[in-house]
Amino acid sequence: MGLESLISGEGFLTTTVNSIVNWGRKNALWPMPFGTACCAIEMMATFSGRYDISRFGAEVVRFSPRQADLLIVSGRISLKMMPVLQKIYRQMPEPKWVISMGACASCGGVFDTYTLIQGVDQFMPVDVYVPGCPPRPESLLDALFEIQKLVGQERLDSGKHGS
Amino acid sequence: MESTVVDMAANDAAYDALAPDLQSLVIDQTEHQGQVALTCKAEHQRQLLEHFRNEQGYDYLVDVTAMDHLGMDRPERFEVVYVLRRIGASGHQFRLHVWLSEDQAELPSVFDLWDSARWGERETHDMFGIVFQGNPDLRRLLMPEDYPAFPLLKDYPLKGAGERRQFTRVVPRGDQMVEEEPEDYPTSIGRGMHTPEYEEEVRRDSKPR
Repeated sequence: MGLESLISGEGFLTTTVNSIVNWGRKNALWPMPFGTACCAIEMMATFSGRYDISRFGAEVVRFSPRQADLLIVSGRISLKMMPVLQKIYRQMPEPKWVISMGACASCGGVFDTYTLIQGVDQFMPVDVYVPGCPPRPESLLDALFEIQKLVGQERLDSGKHGS
Repeated sequence: MESTVVDMAANDAAYDALAPDLQSLVIDQTEHQGQVALTCKAEHQRQLLEHFRNEQGYDYLVDVTAMDHLGMDRPERFEVVYVLRRIGASGHQFRLHVWLSEDQAELPSVFDLWDSARWGERETHDMFGIVFQGNPDLRRLLMPEDYPAFPLLKDYPLKGAGERRQFTRVVPRGDQMVEEEPEDYPTSIGRGMHTPEYEEEVRRDSKPR
């Protein structure tokens, strides 16, 4: 017995606008992959068949930030790349979320040198960090679940992404 | 199958083929594991390279790079390295090292002899600040265009002089993103590496790991 039989005919359900909007958003996240290093290899593995992020509704990978609502920063961000990353972040429409994937994006990793940003969260908001060097696809999937929890807590009238 | 190892016997070829007056310009000749390096002074660099290109047929400039010998017992601070190769049967390769003083860190460009010098000289300028006179395009290559320093100099701090912290922040304010100016960090640009100010900066910048 499926949902169809319950709502066929005169069937209806009650919910709140907030709940149904959050339900839609969190199960249809459109990621913008920002892969600059080896973490991007694991990210690609997460997107493809074996791990298959589309099981959780996030398979529509957008290479234009204007069509995405989840930015996955996976890899080292250098001095030269940081303004680019910020521009891409600002081009994404609200509401938007950010995953900082791997040690380099989160804290510079082993590259404590003149040319590498020591954590992108110094210069832009980050919602979920993924530890690892590089993290396994399971870790990135777990980060997606954390993002989905955050999306589920959003309120349309207030909050971080409210207007 | 032809071996890729450079023939030891051919290694003196570049020097031996020099006329005696050019040989006198070579102030040092070393060999390490089959790799020959000739050394000359800055004022003879162009003359020798022209000779190797035009007379001896070294038609491929593999790389131009440099070394900074700050604080070491060397004739000059900088050593610019040209890696030359003959394309063809012998494939002979050697290096020409050029001593370059800190006060006059300039060399004539050789981009008219080898086109590949455009890139090598540009990168060497980007990293060491050495000026190659005549090179039409010495813009920044690896570093951002407004970068204030030459990072491979030995007196440049390993963790930079504050550049990596000086970005505008993007922060959410209500329903929009605004830009915040970075915190004002004093930097150690131009102060040398081992001053108390730099040590303090490194300590402040160190994160628990």
